[in-house]
Amino acid sequence: MITVKNLKKSFDDTPVLKSIDLQVEKGDVVCLVGASGSGKTTLLRCLNLLETPDEGSIRIGDKEVQFGEKPLTKKDTKEIRHYSGMVFQGFHLFPHMTLIDNITEAPLTAKEQDKDTIMQEAHALLEKVGLSEHKDKYPDALSGGQQQRAAIARALMMHPDVMLFDEPTSALDPQLVREVLKVIESLAKEGQTMVIVTHEMNFARRIADKAFFMGDGYIVEEGPADQVLADPKEDRTREFLALLEDE
Amino acid sequence: MFETFREIRWDYLFDFELAADSLPFLLEGLQVTMIIALFSMFFALILGMVIGIARMSKYAVLHLPARLYISFMRGTPLLVFIFILYYGLPVIGIEFDSAVVAAIVGVSLNFAAYNAEVVRSAILSVPKGQWEAAATLQMDYFQTLRRIIIPQATRIALPPTFNIFMDVVKGTSLASVITVQELLYSSRLVAGRTFDSMTMYITAALIYWLVCIVIGYFQDRLEIRYNRYLTN
Repeated sequence: MITVKNLKKSFDDTPVLKSIDLQVEKGDVVCLVGASGSGKTTLLRCLNLLETPDEGSIRIGDKEVQFGEKPLTKKDTKEIRHYSGMVFQGFHLFPHMTLIDNITEAPLTAKEQDKDTIMQEAHALLEKVGLSEHKDKYPDALSGGQQQRAAIARALMMHPDVMLFDEPTSALDPQLVREVLKVIESLAKEGQTMVIVTHEMNFARRIADKAFFMGDGYIVEEGPADQVLADPKEDRTREFLALLEDE
Repeated sequence: MFETFREIRWDYLFDFELAADSLPFLLEGLQVTMIIALFSMFFALILGMVIGIARMSKYAVLHLPARLYISFMRGTPLLVFIFILYYGLPVIGIEFDSAVVAAIVGVSLNFAAYNAEVVRSAILSVPKGQWEAAATLQMDYFQTLRRIIIPQATRIALPPTFNIFMDVVKGTSLASVITVQELLYSSRLVAGRTFDSMTMYITAALIYWLVCIVIGYFQDRLEIRYNRYLTN
């Protein structure tokens, strides 16, 4: 589903990704873990070209792009983004639209389906994430957990092959984390391919097939999630996990 | 000092009868004022939007002319600009059909620059995450601008835009110097005939003020509407 080869990215002169190779199969649930500043969010944002890598290549679905030789075209960007949906740490719902408008805006402008189909699907999705009764409310009137669930529904409306989650629960009050994780977990059970940047280690261990531990712009360790996150081979992974235990 | 104060002729301060008698005549002038103001604001908004967006472009062919335009218009007095249009252009063979048209062109072009800066700052104040969310939902630049960014930027732009609108209304008084018979010009005519400048200019001032109060009322209404999605 996703193949990343030799990916490099610097901000100004600071290298953030130093040669990343990564493979995600269809149906995989993959967690990216690591300290802040290790490059995991940047890597995730490269997968949908919110950041443009300097070098290397990304293949996602049937689309492959090489970086560094010639500038990205709008067509490349569009095609790459077609395969993924993104859930942000800060939700980024459209504040001036009600929930139902938030999640139907993009599919209605894309016009790939007729309106009735889109509306039916939207109602079904809101039901699924437990927000039916709030469909006519504005985001500002909802809790963070509700907003994040709506943001997940919004991304799903575009039928992405891969869902990208960028620390989806880091901005939430502790008591709201669980309701969001439950939605993500239910997607995992349905076989949705997902790449999740997270600090929720128990959650990652429970739902992820694979885990990548990142440090300093490299992938330090990769493997089955329960191995990497419970019994890591690398010292750096162990140190990081021990730090989290202390908290 | 006290002596001078005692010499003030308070009975000449305001002649209600004259004000009332000349009101219909002044209101005719006000019509011209409002025609110039409304047309000018309309064109200044559209032009300001285009220039403001061009100013933010990453392409030099768009943002450099926009910057130059804004710099010139903000850096020159409206009155001088109106003189150039009305007295200057005929020298090189360009003449406006009427002074009113020249005034509308002058006020529009001048205030478009201020609107452009409001548009730019309002669009920049919409969080970057909104662009990113729209991008990941595969919306293109103009869809994002039209459906996501501009509705949010409008809320932020309302107060400064209404400031500009009031400035436009008041700025139309400069048209009186190129013989446009708007509110100030009419007041001056009556003042000249009756030798009662005080009454006539106070009346004119009060009429401008009243117009701005009405505009302020619409501003409040619009702000309430555009803030409805916020809980506090």
